[in-house]
Amino acid sequence: MRKESLLSVGIDVGTTTTQIFVSRLMLENASGSTVVPAIKIAARETVYRGNIFFTPLESETEIDMEAVCGIVAAEYRAAGISGGMVDTGAVIITGESAHKRNAEKVAQLLARFAGDFVVAAAGPALESVLAARGAGADELSVARGSAFNLDIGGGTSNYALYSGGELRESGCFDIGGRLIRVDPAGQIEYIAPKIARLCKWSGIPLRVGRADAAALRRAARAMAEILEMGLGLREKSKAYPEFLTDGRDIAPPPPGACVTFSGGVADVIYRPPGGGDPYRYGDIGLLLGEEIRKSRIPQAFRPESPRETIRATVVGAGAHSTAISGSTIAYSREQLPLRNLPAVNWARRAESALYGDGDTPVAVIIQDMKNPSYQDIQLLAAELCAWHGGRAAEGVPLVAVCENDMAKALGQAIRAVSRGAFPLICLDSVAADSGDYIDIGLPAGDGSALPVVVKTLIFG
Amino acid sequence: MTEKIPGEMIPDISEGQARDWFAVPRPADAEGYLRLQAATSARLGVWRAGTRYATQSMLRFRADWAGARDAVNTDVPADFIAACGFLAGSTQCADREVYLRRPDLGRRLSGETRELYAGKLAHDARVLLAVGDGLSSAAICANAADVILTLQQGLALAGIETGPIPFIKYCRVGVMDDLAPLVRAEAVCLLIGERPGLVCAESMSAYMAYRPDPGRPESWRTVVSNIHAGGLPPVEAGAQIAEVMTRILEQKLSGVALEL
Repeated sequence: MRKESLLSVGIDVGTTTTQIFVSRLMLENASGSTVVPAIKIAARETVYRGNIFFTPLESETEIDMEAVCGIVAAEYRAAGISGGMVDTGAVIITGESAHKRNAEKVAQLLARFAGDFVVAAAGPALESVLAARGAGADELSVARGSAFNLDIGGGTSNYALYSGGELRESGCFDIGGRLIRVDPAGQIEYIAPKIARLCKWSGIPLRVGRADAAALRRAARAMAEILEMGLGLREKSKAYPEFLTDGRDIAPPPPGACVTFSGGVADVIYRPPGGGDPYRYGDIGLLLGEEIRKSRIPQAFRPESPRETIRATVVGAGAHSTAISGSTIAYSREQLPLRNLPAVNWARRAESALYGDGDTPVAVIIQDMKNPSYQDIQLLAAELCAWHGGRAAEGVPLVAVCENDMAKALGQAIRAVSRGAFPLICLDSVAADSGDYIDIGLPAGDGSALPVVVKTLIFG
Repeated sequence: MTEKIPGEMIPDISEGQARDWFAVPRPADAEGYLRLQAATSARLGVWRAGTRYATQSMLRFRADWAGARDAVNTDVPADFIAACGFLAGSTQCADREVYLRRPDLGRRLSGETRELYAGKLAHDARVLLAVGDGLSSAAICANAADVILTLQQGLALAGIETGPIPFIKYCRVGVMDDLAPLVRAEAVCLLIGERPGLVCAESMSAYMAYRPDPGRPESWRTVVSNIHAGGLPPVEAGAQIAEVMTRILEQKLSGVALEL
């Protein structure tokens, strides 16, 4: 295989900041000289570490779309790249920005501008995973057993727990440094509604237009306590469930797990800010960081240095969002790229609306077939063909995504059964499940493998 | 030793994988140790008695060694060959002793076998599939059927039909150079058992060549190796071999010169 690489871009439009990160994924055939290729990402080189911009807002409810596009265009020029050069990557709208009225529009516009193969994504679960990968918690857990990352941003705190390199749990809290905004004189400009309620319950006298350093510190402490509750270090209060972003509670990390902190607030957690104006960023991020540093979290777990702090999410989106499929696969090239395929677990096909309208392809997820026999493959191929043929409209490809190394054999069997009645994409060594969305890019590694982005959720 | 209860079997020491064997008593971090163990096929966590291996670990080592020896010394059962419909033949090795000492004889078909194959195999076939025991009969029993069925399906999709399949006892890879000219096969794929190790005794290889003959160098052969449940799964191997074979026929060459 000749030297090959993919130019990958990450764009993160967060509550507080907008950032971009450009990297080059170096592909390598790990099998050496044999005729069974094994394309892997051998290295990730940084091409451009973007500047950190405040996210431009049109109003409390809308992102300033033009200004965001202006930032990205200027950063592309600074990086010396253009949309046409970009092979893969992800635009992610995170934290409070994801709730703005035009969030989806912004993401899709940016994705189009950023490059044909850059995907638009959102959702607290995906954000948690990308931030943890950017911070390096996944790799840390390979050496150290269990590790979790807490990415504390302006609007949300994202949690992702890894064990032995595998994702175990993710979740998100509505806790962030910019949920209270303060002017240079220390006067409160804005209090997010949930935080206002939290203060009321906790008896903290906080009101817009007033300056009260002691009350602000108490509010920051109350926010840190919510995180302690989530991590199993404090009894959950009545207010706690309000702060679960998607209403789902998390399983806490095992005792003694390693912890990395990332996000804009992280630097203060590792090092005391050392004086200066605590409101210099116009919010209580510095106070929140200090309160987390003083909380039970660094005592109960083992703090480790993250690979990235404020850039963790954008680095995750830019350098760690794309995976490479197995290298013995089957596909109809003219069907690629495919975007936003809803994933449906084959074992649970009866419960899902597989092919809701028949026109949109879905990614059929096939799991738990380690070492299938020839007969197993034939049976599965026949069932898949019958299912697909009976439901999908003409020309809609059958997309099968296998967990185990079997896609070339399955693809061949499907072709034998279907006699080319429909286009086929059959790939393997990709972990995905019902509820995920999958993007499949143009072939890489001399055509042996396909770049894949598995997204945990897109806009509802 | 525990007292033997009549009618109860003692545990089979060779069951499971050696790498799943963990004998460290009271480990400080069992999970961490198991992670290290999972990263290698070396024997970690076998524990000791004084300066020697623990009895169970020693027995396990000897059981795996015996498994490797058995794979070499056991014949592929006649009923397996019959069930697969293979044409049973042999090289010029009279017995296994000769086979192990005389690689040259393992590369030539016996006179009787030449006669049988000349009469029963398809002549001028585009692809001749063949199977040989090589150094692991266990590898053939475990993998050959799934590979062949998948490979035949893949070749059929490319419009290539295959004929009867010879099974060659006491077989070395080079026997394909003797076999192919006999029936003027354009390309040959020989499935053969690999030399067993302590990690796996069931690994199989597929050696492929375009118009093999005794004058060709080793570099003329293309190989897909490490075919077994823990390596390249047999069905994936079959589909990959089918693709490689079609490339060999297209390019009319094989080995290092082949482009995939």
